[in-house]
Amino acid sequence: MKIFGKIFLWLLVAMLAAWQIPWLIRYFAAVPSHVPFTLYSTVIEDFAMIRTEGDELEFIDRAGHRYTEKGFDSILPLFYARQLNSEGRFPDSVSGRAVNIHEVLEHNFFFNSHPSDINCKKTGIYFLMESCSGRVDLEMPDDAFRFISGNGTIGGKAWTDGMAQDNGGIEFIDMKKNDVLREKSEMFTSAMAEAGFSFPPKCLSGNPGTRKEYDEGYIIIDAADKLFHLKMVKGRPYIRLIDLPSGVVPEHAFITEFGDRRTIAFFTDTYDRMYAVCMPGYVTVRIGYIPESGIDKTCRTSDTADCTFDPTEESIYIIGNLIDWTVRINSETSTRYYAINANDFSLISFMEYPSEPSWAERVPGIQFTSSKDKYVKPRIRK
Amino acid sequence: MTKALIFKEWIKTRWYLLVCLTVMIGFAAYAASGAFRAVELRGAGHIWEVMVTRDAIFVDILRYVPLAAGFALAIVQFVPEMQKKCLKLTLHLPCSILKTTAVMIAYGLCCLTICFMAMSLTGILPLGRLFPHEMVSRIFLSMLPWILGGYSAYIFTSWIIIEPSWKMRIAYIAISALALRIFFLAPGPEAYNVFLPWLSAAVIFSASLIWLSVLRFKAGVQD
Repeated sequence: MKIFGKIFLWLLVAMLAAWQIPWLIRYFAAVPSHVPFTLYSTVIEDFAMIRTEGDELEFIDRAGHRYTEKGFDSILPLFYARQLNSEGRFPDSVSGRAVNIHEVLEHNFFFNSHPSDINCKKTGIYFLMESCSGRVDLEMPDDAFRFISGNGTIGGKAWTDGMAQDNGGIEFIDMKKNDVLREKSEMFTSAMAEAGFSFPPKCLSGNPGTRKEYDEGYIIIDAADKLFHLKMVKGRPYIRLIDLPSGVVPEHAFITEFGDRRTIAFFTDTYDRMYAVCMPGYVTVRIGYIPESGIDKTCRTSDTADCTFDPTEESIYIIGNLIDWTVRINSETSTRYYAINANDFSLISFMEYPSEPSWAERVPGIQFTSSKDKYVKPRIRK
Repeated sequence: MTKALIFKEWIKTRWYLLVCLTVMIGFAAYAASGAFRAVELRGAGHIWEVMVTRDAIFVDILRYVPLAAGFALAIVQFVPEMQKKCLKLTLHLPCSILKTTAVMIAYGLCCLTICFMAMSLTGILPLGRLFPHEMVSRIFLSMLPWILGGYSAYIFTSWIIIEPSWKMRIAYIAISALALRIFFLAPGPEAYNVFLPWLSAAVIFSASLIWLSVLRFKAGVQD
């Protein structure tokens, strides 16, 4: 017992030292790295960025040209549309395309995803809103739903005759009574089973809430790696299988619900390629594919420019407008920027800021938390 | 002999345990009633939404209660032993030192288990009327690291109190403070799910530290 106690004590001390000493070094010696705010400008057909030089902001483009703040607004007319409009400087056309402020504002969107949004324990309880209530304002539902495994019961009781859902189903719960809504559960389970849905789902993405213009329910990847769209229309299930290109296996899905209603979802596949599901017709298009005409010569090789995104390891931020999207993907080794054609989602241009961790950040040790997930567990930092 | 040792520990701690149990049940009942009140005021839908989308668990008030309970129990159980030099007598009873120490520590851990169970049942069982089992288990799994922290606080505090040298006590305090921090790093509910079995094993193994202090005490180590 004495030897065991001593071994335990020294292991504990070693573990605490390996945890705290690197943390102290990073706390006092790490220098934060700043990646300039960068956007693709369709006017100059290159990336433009805002850099911090001391207390001053520097407005430049990738070629090194400097701009005044007003000049910078002008080369990014769709991003600074409100500012330009308030100054009466909003252009009639951008890159030969006629534009008006309302159209621009409707098409502007922001999208982001962080690994910790995905790498965390979910409750398994979801809210399905009424997508077509006939009212302007959205309302949260009175029930919630969960997916259940195939034990042949619903709410602890057998399914209605003829509904042998041994393969699982969807179960709605009245939140006020905390009791299963049997009729609604059976209606949705039947509809989903008829559409070929395999329970339980691997991934689902929805954005229940009243602070949005409209609701599109959930994008779901089922147990058989098929992509579905589920929503509730006038109290009834709307379930639609989304056709995918051959060989594409979806892995992570994200509902979009942008103002222009052009896309319904983004998803990534097993090769970390990113796709948009466009409406109408649920057309799936790869985001950032390299067009036959190639991309601008500033990109070194097509390999480095290949637009891939691993949602469990990398964060993504998309600033989109009528003409192009700027996609920023942060990984441990770099920050990559992709300019995407908003019309066909092909890659226009690419740039990368390599991130070289300082010596303090390279000190090995143990850490229990990570910015990439919401778990506490020991992990070795190499 | 075991019964006599347990009775000795009971005499020392009975009033503390009564207060501890009352306070823990009181805190847990307050936390649970807060959830009921919130449902009454804002509606069940809103509270479910807050739990699902904003990671609320309604029992945050209990976070440091087990830690304080474990810390205080060790003080109540071992400070009188050290001050009145009773531990020296205890270790000279016609019974192995290891068994005597084990009985004393096991008594403390059992008392804490009763308190923690009472707290968990009072705080969580009523919530089953409001929330589905997924949310109730989420609350319980989020509380488990705090409960393990309570056991650890008891073990580390006992280890420090029994240690005869002040120099080593200071080192042990630093080690204990850092080790206890590990139980309170959660960035969200159920953050420890994967780590819980390992953490539980570490808590059990950490009881061996007390044996080191007992041996040093028995050997008459001084500053």
